[in-house]
Amino acid sequence: MISYLIGFAGFLVTGMLQLSVVSQIKILSGSADILLLYLIVWCMYDRSKHLWLMVFVMAGLVSSVSALPAVILMVVYFFVFGVTRMFQKRLMQSPLLGVIVITFVASLLQIVLNMAYLFISGVEFNLNTALTEVALPSLILNMFLAIPMHAIIREIAHYAFPKGLEA
Amino acid sequence: MPFDSVMIKKIFSPKNLRNLIISLVVVGILFLAISGYLTPLFSFSASPFISAQSWMAQRFLAFSDFFNSPRDMATLRAENQQLESQVAMLQSEIVALQENLAQSEILYTLLDFARTNPEHSYVAATVIGREISPFLQYIIIDKGSNDGLRYGMPVVTQQGLVGRIDALIANAARIQLISDANSVVNVKLQTAEVEGLVRGSVTGEISLDMVPVETEVQIGDILMTSGLGGTYPPNIFVGQILTMQSKQNVLFQTGSVQPVVDFSNLSAVLVITNFNAVDISPLVP
Repeated sequence: MISYLIGFAGFLVTGMLQLSVVSQIKILSGSADILLLYLIVWCMYDRSKHLWLMVFVMAGLVSSVSALPAVILMVVYFFVFGVTRMFQKRLMQSPLLGVIVITFVASLLQIVLNMAYLFISGVEFNLNTALTEVALPSLILNMFLAIPMHAIIREIAHYAFPKGLEA
Repeated sequence: MPFDSVMIKKIFSPKNLRNLIISLVVVGILFLAISGYLTPLFSFSASPFISAQSWMAQRFLAFSDFFNSPRDMATLRAENQQLESQVAMLQSEIVALQENLAQSEILYTLLDFARTNPEHSYVAATVIGREISPFLQYIIIDKGSNDGLRYGMPVVTQQGLVGRIDALIANAARIQLISDANSVVNVKLQTAEVEGLVRGSVTGEISLDMVPVETEVQIGDILMTSGLGGTYPPNIFVGQILTMQSKQNVLFQTGSVQPVVDFSNLSAVLVITNFNAVDISPLVP
């Protein structure tokens, strides 16, 4: 129970940071998504059975704030949940490597779904511009922030599930 | 006569003479001392004592410092820490006051704008967040339906058009900026009285579209909302034309627009509350 509380508290703080600070820090037109990074790192360390429920609530919370359709966030967040479960079994000896790989794949998936949503909405955009000015800088920022995010969340995770980390 | 000789003998007895001489010597020494004639002698005779006394005093002070200094240092450190914390507190107060001042200046400017545009009624709001997705351009403000805001209400600053309310809850609202890729604003050129469309993009830049080829458009022309479509009220500044392009065999020319509002530094906005956006989508074939 305490791990869920710590997880949610961390998620809310990260959300506030994302909305007020991180969304304004841009490379060209791209910005980082530290909520996604938080989810990746947390899922990497949390082995509880009902984590999917927490992921569902997190996706619901983010979709209530973001203009993105909820289905995109659900797909991305549950993709992260599924892949981290897979990595937990196979690559738990090097969670940082897992975090970096999942950050890259999940960010790519999010970018693809974002662009697909815009395309379906009938928005005309230059694919080359969208890739070079938005997608690539966002991916780079996510990759860049994945390592410090992992370090911070790992420390928090020590308090949430100390036994899980030692295992 | 015998009395006199006896008296003289008594007066000049050896004892009295000795006392007299001693008294005279003492008075003489005092007189010389008061007159300053004995100062060199005193100095000479007192210097060994003064040297010894100063040596003793210095040793005592060193000894006293040795024991008292740590306590003084601790006291000084505590005082220094206290003063440092006071300085930090005052600095944070200064920062807070500067923030308040900046916020007040923005609000005064918005108030001026509201006074100079009395045809609308406004609700001032502070920007508290931005969209998570880098592909979308939205902001979040701290006023919602409890403050009288409704879906579709236009949002402006003292410079010009910002966007419109896209979603809201009781105490907050999400604003779609005119730079969003899904945003389309009907505009007119202030000089040429020609209408067109301003579209946003995934990068947050805005462009002018649907301007007839035969229209002469000058760089720097001002774009204002036309009011067509019922989404925005007319005559709100949108931007200035930066460049124009017209290709052969096309009906319309396009161009890039410099928005009058700096969307990256938005901190406070005004929501126009007496304008109800008209949803014409059911009429669109």
